[in-house]
Amino acid sequence: MQTQTETLSRCSALTRVRLSYRQRIRAWGIGFILPAILFFAFFKYGPMLWAFWLSFTSYDMVGTPRLVGFDNFTSVVHDPVFIQALNNTLVYIAGSTALITLIALLLALAVSQRVPGSRAYMSGMFLSNVMPIVAVCLVWRFLLHPHGLVNQMLSPLGLGRIDWLTDTSLAMPAIVGVTVWRFAPYFMVVFVAAIMAIPSDFYEAAEIDGAARWGRFRHITIPLIMPQVFFVIVVSALLSARIFLMPFLITGGGPGGATRVLSMLVYETGFSYMKMGRAAAISVALFAIALVFTVLQMRLFMRGEED
Amino acid sequence: MDRTDESTSCSFVSRRDFLRSAAVGVGAALAPSVPRVASAQSGPTKTPVKLTFWTWENPQQRPYQHKRIQQFMQQYPNISIEFQYFTFTDLGKKVSVGYATGTAPDGFATGDWLMPTWLSRKLIAPLDVSLLGYPSLDAFRDDHAAAFVAGCIHGGKAYGHPTWFYGFQNWANTKHFKEVGLDPVKDEPRTWEELGEVAKRLTIKKGDRFERQGFKFAMHAAQWTMIQFNPILLQAGGQWFDGTGKCTVNNAAGVRAMQIRASIAKKYGAEDPADSQATPPVPWMDWLRERCSMFSSVPMGPGAIKPINPTMDREGYYRAYQMPGVTADKRYSTCYGFNLVVNAQASKAKQEVLHHVYRYMMSDLVDVWRATAPLTLARKSGWTDHPEVKGAANIDAIIRSKDTGMFLPRTPVWNELADAMHRAVQKVLLANGDPKQALDEAAAEVDRATAEFKKG
Repeated sequence: MQTQTETLSRCSALTRVRLSYRQRIRAWGIGFILPAILFFAFFKYGPMLWAFWLSFTSYDMVGTPRLVGFDNFTSVVHDPVFIQALNNTLVYIAGSTALITLIALLLALAVSQRVPGSRAYMSGMFLSNVMPIVAVCLVWRFLLHPHGLVNQMLSPLGLGRIDWLTDTSLAMPAIVGVTVWRFAPYFMVVFVAAIMAIPSDFYEAAEIDGAARWGRFRHITIPLIMPQVFFVIVVSALLSARIFLMPFLITGGGPGGATRVLSMLVYETGFSYMKMGRAAAISVALFAIALVFTVLQMRLFMRGEED
Repeated sequence: MDRTDESTSCSFVSRRDFLRSAAVGVGAALAPSVPRVASAQSGPTKTPVKLTFWTWENPQQRPYQHKRIQQFMQQYPNISIEFQYFTFTDLGKKVSVGYATGTAPDGFATGDWLMPTWLSRKLIAPLDVSLLGYPSLDAFRDDHAAAFVAGCIHGGKAYGHPTWFYGFQNWANTKHFKEVGLDPVKDEPRTWEELGEVAKRLTIKKGDRFERQGFKFAMHAAQWTMIQFNPILLQAGGQWFDGTGKCTVNNAAGVRAMQIRASIAKKYGAEDPADSQATPPVPWMDWLRERCSMFSSVPMGPGAIKPINPTMDREGYYRAYQMPGVTADKRYSTCYGFNLVVNAQASKAKQEVLHHVYRYMMSDLVDVWRATAPLTLARKSGWTDHPEVKGAANIDAIIRSKDTGMFLPRTPVWNELADAMHRAVQKVLLANGDPKQALDEAAAEVDRATAEFKKG
């Protein structure tokens, strides 16, 4: 009887474990974020790890993956098609990032002048970002046709016919142009917010000191929006590294592979040629590029928080 | 496991097996005296079965397949078939993705050039020809064009139920011919050189803008590149692979073929490859809209012409020629067709039902012809002698191109080959690339793919 009573009291003590306030907060916190952790584990990091493992295998999507060590990586780095796609990706990242940042900043400066209609102008500009990407690509394919609207608008300048999408040297700039058209207004909003947050006192003081418009921009605006400039550079580079639909839908990677970027090569290798191991190896390379920008972005955020 | 699966796993002969064997035996006995494909069709299982079937989009074939599947479901309400379709160029990729993700359909239509891709990976199941109405594999083989069934018979088993099968013709706008003083009958281009000269006369340019192209190659998709390059390569004496499997498209014959391919644009100035590349709607749309005078196409009939150009249809100012050759005695085009295949991963019950579905879909070939004319069929019997077929416009050129056509290379690295050749053609035509160098790069790419495939 005594043993039974002892057991019962021990059980009730176990069920009534008293957690400290800090422990309870932590338990609640874990409870709240657990669904998100599980979601990302299953649907994001799990597949990523699986893809990483696949890169060391030969897998045609039907049989069982067979380990091949670093074979996929060694054959990929010696493949001229991969080298071309890597070059295209880097050129695209550099071109679109530089132009997005520059154009977004110029648009933001124009919008932040507080002239009548600037808000409507900003909203209008932002429309390019909310349009479905497939529609955007199809429309641009027609606009950039040899006899399309772009060439017709340029014809008074005596430029003649420009084969935007079929000239190997112009196709990538054309894709970069469409990217800038789509994303620059998005980042413009970031710059507008930053510029609007600069106290007007700074400009007034500079004006009293005789600073010209360019001087005010160079010595006040630019230094104060520098964190946002870095942010835009890193995020747009990250977005550009993962670009797929624009070259896929506008040029199909052509002409002659001139606009085939790494993500398209991953898609083709995996789903058209059924070489999932090799596709995974290429995607690891793409991941490495994206990782560089992600680390940069994280450092930037951390520095911003410290500031 | 459903009931049908259980029955197939039993060691003794089921009632259905007995009836099927009896039907096959009777069919074999009657074979000499009746059409090779029995018209009566035994019913599939009475157990509820849900199937998925994917096919390609085409204004005639897709609706016909859909109609027959709906009719089949009305006859057998226990069988439900989810019908989906994709663009011609996307279907193969969608199916590949389906296999990768475990969402491949139970049955699908596939271009015969993709058969080695599916077969080499054991993705499609062998067909029981008796369920398709044939007493034996030989009877099945004899009832279809030899080269076409060669692609679907593998290791003594049939893997595809052939449907449509056709060659390409040179479709000409006879009004344009007359406008420039050409006789649509006498001036039929028989060689590529003649085609270049005729196309040059038909071309109208205003500055650097083509008002009308004399002839046009499709530039929008790798499959079309292969379809158009294949006969020129073979006519020039080339071949895609040698006996060891090495890609030989970059030899002298291949370079000559590429020069011929590029000549219409570069030598005769009768084509704008950039225009074709930049606007990829239905490939023959520019011919239908009279923006080009000649275009190589699969058989086209009023059903395809009338909705786009009713005047052309009404006045009938078009004509199909056989495609030109390097010499006039080599006037053949690419031929291709479509098989109905069964996913090897589908259950046995579903596989069996799909046999019945496929047989039903293609059981009335005159009805198929009426719905999809002038697209020709793979089967020899049951349609060619019908007066409606014999009386169709341009039927001689259409049938001849089917009978004399050459097949696309059958290789497990088909997609790699097509993409590499597509890039080679783009480099030569759009970037003034050297044909030999472009073909060298393509051949090297294909050889790498072949080596990797062999490695497994």
